[in-house]
Amino acid sequence: MSKPFLQIRGIRKEYGPVTAVQDVNLDVAQGEFLTFLGPSGSGKSTTLYILAGFEDPTGGDILLNGESLLSTPSHKRNIGMVFQRYTLFPHLSVGENIAFPLKVRRLPKAEIDAKVRQMLKLVRLEGFEDRKPAQMSGGQQQRVALARALAYDPPVLLMDEPLSALDKKLREEIQHEIRRIHQQTEVTILYVTHDQEEALRLSDRIAVFSKGVIDQIGTGPELYANPATRFVAEFIGDSDFLPCNVVSAGNGRAEIAICETMTVADIPLHGTASSGSKAALMLRPERLLLSKRQSESGLPVTVSDITFLGNNVHVATKTSKGNNLSVRLPFGHEAISGLNRGDAVWLKFDAESAHVFGQ
Amino acid sequence: MLLNLNRLGWWKLVLFGITVLTTAFLLLPILFIAALSFGSSQWLIFPPPSWTLRWYQELFADPRWLASAWTSFQIAIIVTVLSVLLGLATSFGLTRGRFAFREGLKALFLTPMILPVVVLAVALYAFFLKIGLNGTLTGFVISHLVLALPFSILSIGNALEGFDKSIEDAAVLCGASPLEAKVRVTLPAISHGIFSAAIFSFLTSWDEVVVAIFMSSPTLQTLPVKVWATLRQDLTPVVAAASTLLILLTVLLMVLVAVVRKGLKS
Ligand SMILES: Nc1ncnc2c1ncn2[C@@H]1O[C@H](COP(=O)(O)OP(=O)(O)OP(=O)(O)O)[C@@H](O)[C@H]1O
Ligand SMILES: [Mg+2]
Repeated sequence: MSKPFLQIRGIRKEYGPVTAVQDVNLDVAQGEFLTFLGPSGSGKSTTLYILAGFEDPTGGDILLNGESLLSTPSHKRNIGMVFQRYTLFPHLSVGENIAFPLKVRRLPKAEIDAKVRQMLKLVRLEGFEDRKPAQMSGGQQQRVALARALAYDPPVLLMDEPLSALDKKLREEIQHEIRRIHQQTEVTILYVTHDQEEALRLSDRIAVFSKGVIDQIGTGPELYANPATRFVAEFIGDSDFLPCNVVSAGNGRAEIAICETMTVADIPLHGTASSGSKAALMLRPERLLLSKRQSESGLPVTVSDITFLGNNVHVATKTSKGNNLSVRLPFGHEAISGLNRGDAVWLKFDAESAHVFGQ
Repeated sequence: MLLNLNRLGWWKLVLFGITVLTTAFLLLPILFIAALSFGSSQWLIFPPPSWTLRWYQELFADPRWLASAWTSFQIAIIVTVLSVLLGLATSFGLTRGRFAFREGLKALFLTPMILPVVVLAVALYAFFLKIGLNGTLTGFVISHLVLALPFSILSIGNALEGFDKSIEDAAVLCGASPLEAKVRVTLPAISHGIFSAAIFSFLTSWDEVVVAIFMSSPTLQTLPVKVWATLRQDLTPVVAAASTLLILLTVLLMVLVAVVRKGLKS
């Protein structure tokens, strides 16, 4: 494999006693769309600001094409960035905003004009060049900001929750635009969000942040099918957890007992567990099978609620120990017809679709 | 709206009356002075027996009046420039800096606004006596700068607080050096604050009389000091003419502020 394009090596950042970023390691390929996904305060923005050069890390290094970026000041890094807040220069028109980085670089006027026109076309805002930022909607402003950040052909584009101030419909519309622009320009994008749907829709790979470290990096399907930690399992897709006892463990697999009545073997195991220890079993609502017929191999539960959600029906159930488990079934599924609150039903699942998280 | 004018009935008339009276109370002395400056009476009799431009002619013919006006103008301009420059530097430090006692320092910079001017004047006088700055242009400039700087820090500081630092960061990532980003992006964005700072600094110095009385010498006095000194010697309508012109300039500047602010906002 060729040398990675962008390498983040053991980045740390402390603000006094607060550790914002603990130890972030990441290789990014050229042209990749990589998203930082994580809850508030997990260090996503801080990592991005370190890349931009607004913050100095307390440890670690960043290499672009094999050369350290850290000694280069922000304005010479040639990196593009779109911010969470609207950052168009208020006194300049849309065209002048896009031209700004080119003027700073003292390009000839004809070249600047051509590039501004090209960028306006890219973000589909032709004819808006004379407007002032205050006369544009939030979505339009972010598109201009994107055009400004791409005008100087940066090797890397950073985006820090650029759509969080927009409403859902507009957000989806601009997500499409961003995808198209990424494919068209082949720029490498590092994107920050705490919206899993946005991350899944946009990215080639997702880095899940938790408390200043990356818990797992992978494509959306990889993270969904094979979460490395309980945190990732909770963050990508829906999941429920049941306390369980480990019967035996080894080779990344475990046999477990749930609710004393049922044992399941050969479930993927994450973390450490040994015979007799306690662990958590993760189940996804859409991977559970519900049956009204009693069966030895099924987990007995009671239906506590049934909710109609359009093309899906959500069945909330409770185990004999009082743990909640949700089941999602397609509308019209035969298991639901005639199902009532308080009914006893049995749940089954495939060992491969479940995960055990040890201590 | 909390107060609906249409539903007030006859209270509307009362409110109208109060407004007229307040306006009259504020404006009458000024109109009175302006009227006297055009009156023919040597003894400032009101109402003036007839109208004349004589006092204005005398004013413009007297080199001492012109000299003091020129002195005032010079001082006010230098104070304005220094006040804006120092105000900018201080505001950046106070809004962007992260250090202990920042709030305390902020308050300290504003103390000349609340301190009695006489106290400041005496203190400056005593200090300048030691270092020989009384009666000099430098002395005037420094003492007026002390009075003007709080206004400058206040209006530039407010504008800077309201300016999102991310916008400057965006300019830096676009390739502008930190200084270039400030000059090309931040300063234009806070220009309304800088403009107010300049006008208020100019007016603070231009109108100021208490400190100026302490600073002035027989050869160097500002226009307000000249007005005051002339009043003490003899009561001549030339003083009214000078005052009217002083007021006129102030009003013009205030109008300019209103117009430019409106322009900068849109
Ligand atoms: N300038 C600062 N001084 C002190 N602590 C800071 C500073 N900046 C960030 N932090 C802390 O560092 C941690 C990580 O912050 P960061 O902004 O990177 O989170 P984030 O993942 O971007 O969160 P969000 O989704 O809310 O934007 C937080 O606990 C935050 O309080
Ligand atoms: Mg953030």
